[in-house]
Amino acid sequence: MIAIDRLAKSFGRKREVHAVREVSFVARDGEITGLLGPNGAGKTTLLRMLATLIVPDAGTARIGDLDVVRDRYAVRERIGVLSDARGLYPRLTARENIRYYGELHGLPGPALSARVDALIDTLGLAPLADRRAQGFSQGERMKVAIARALVHDPATILLDEPTNGLDIMSTRALREQLRSLRSAGKCLLFSSHVMQEVAALCDRIVILGAGRVVADGTAQALIAQSGAATLEDAFVTLLGSGEGLAA
Amino acid sequence: MSASPLWRVAAVLRKEVRDALRDRRTLLVSLLTAAAAGPIFLVLIFNLIARQADRARELHLPVVGVHHAPALAAFLERNQAILIPAPPDYEAKVRAGHLDVVLVVDERFAADVAEGKQGTVRLVSDRSRDRAQASIRQAENLLRAYNRQWGTQRLLLRGVAPSVGNPLDVEDVDLATPQQSGALILFLVAFYGLLASVMGGMAAALDTTAGERERQSLEPLLMTPARPGELVVGKWLAVVLFNALVVVVTLAGFYLTLAFAPLPAVGAPFLFGAREFGRFLFVLAPMILLMPAVLLYVGSRGRTFKEAQANVSVLMFVVSMVPAIQLFLQQREPDWLVLVPVSGQYMLLKLALRGEAVPLAQLALSFAVPALLAAAALAGVARLVGREASFASR
Repeated sequence: MIAIDRLAKSFGRKREVHAVREVSFVARDGEITGLLGPNGAGKTTLLRMLATLIVPDAGTARIGDLDVVRDRYAVRERIGVLSDARGLYPRLTARENIRYYGELHGLPGPALSARVDALIDTLGLAPLADRRAQGFSQGERMKVAIARALVHDPATILLDEPTNGLDIMSTRALREQLRSLRSAGKCLLFSSHVMQEVAALCDRIVILGAGRVVADGTAQALIAQSGAATLEDAFVTLLGSGEGLAA
Repeated sequence: MSASPLWRVAAVLRKEVRDALRDRRTLLVSLLTAAAAGPIFLVLIFNLIARQADRARELHLPVVGVHHAPALAAFLERNQAILIPAPPDYEAKVRAGHLDVVLVVDERFAADVAEGKQGTVRLVSDRSRDRAQASIRQAENLLRAYNRQWGTQRLLLRGVAPSVGNPLDVEDVDLATPQQSGALILFLVAFYGLLASVMGGMAAALDTTAGERERQSLEPLLMTPARPGELVVGKWLAVVLFNALVVVVTLAGFYLTLAFAPLPAVGAPFLFGAREFGRFLFVLAPMILLMPAVLLYVGSRGRTFKEAQANVSVLMFVVSMVPAIQLFLQQREPDWLVLVPVSGQYMLLKLALRGEAVPLAQLALSFAVPALLAAAALAGVARLVGREASFASR
């Protein structure tokens, strides 16, 4: 479970860029929570704070019973992150790329091999597994990055715009993968600026606008709250404008 | 599931070594250059010395107007100089480097001598040519010897002891041990060894810092439980391994060339045997540990790979200038110099090559400053890496 309470972060010399002003919400286990917002709404900054990469200016965030600032290294053992920087090592094979992260997570040899084999199997990476990452396509790199993020079987999974640059087939495969993780009881937090993406996949939707939570609930609840006819209209109504969102 | 820091350092080290070994082209280029430096360079310099020795043994001296001084000609020929008539455009030929030195006897030579005046001869040469130095020196020495012999004979004829005209008796006592005579070669061997220890880890260090950032693989790495310090130490150890490899290959090139290559015998007996090989490695060890740390620091400061590369070339230039300056200063180095990285190592390498004992205290001092600097540089890299995330976010 992820519990975020009045989290805030500003950048700039005088802290004049308020990326996240005040964000509170809860993402539950066994659910996919969608973080929807136009470009610049603060999604990436929020995910970076949850991933312990940057320290919030104010507020708290907990992953399970761990605080993202105080227990940052323990948090890193429990989360799997697919950030928007998802570079692989081009001279290592897909398998070696995945193994490296497993080793850093302290998985012992035989268990790691079994885990890597299982991930290669479920993600359909078998034909690529022992090829160098050098010439991989976007979708192939994406799959390896996901396997790398999941190698230690984390209970909480953060994904920053995971479908960026993927073709339809890869996107569908990714959705399948995320649904099966949900059935396994994982807590998934998924950010996107693509409405269809969020609508198709997420159990609950948190709409971010200019660093604040604009709305938070199931798709039906959001439609009811906004008084609009469709989910798309609901987004536009709630955000004040549809600018920066993609249909 | 949590692992020990040592385990993670080992994981980083393993990955970095494998990654760098896969970069075949870079690896091959740096190892081949290292291996080729010794042989190419030693063969060139030995042949140069051999050719100079040949020239000195057999002086071909073009002459003009030598019939004005038949006694001089006879003296020169008695001393194994081969006199040949100089071409009319000898000045141009000397200037162009086709002739080393030409002896011109003034046409009034015989008349001047008969009148009791000094006879004039000219040595035409271009002293800016290193190649010609041996011939010039030999021609000068022969003329000086003839001058002395002639003067002595005149004094004896007048019943004066030769020592009256030569009150100073200069005896040449050369204290150079056999190893010292190849001094220039040895200094250059030291220089190349030092250069290898400075540059050996460059490619690997840049790839694992600026390269890692540019490939966008650093940020995901920072979301694993590996602490910045563990990542940095693992990367550093990997670069140290490659740096050591380049140094060993470079020194092996020198060692094997001197031991087995058919080099001309030039009477420059010096040693670069297994003992010197070991001493070199020991003296260079602080650099092999320090330079990777410095390179990692410079590599992580650059915002892009290109910027890091530019900064590293400046560093390389400065570092390689240090021994060159020391060579040109030609002064006895002060003792405190052993504390200065690069300078200190260069100084100790020269001691090792001269066959002198390297004092243990000096050796210990030469480790101290590099060790401190390496620790500081690594702490700096860890700080930079730890801050990376907040850099990347805006």
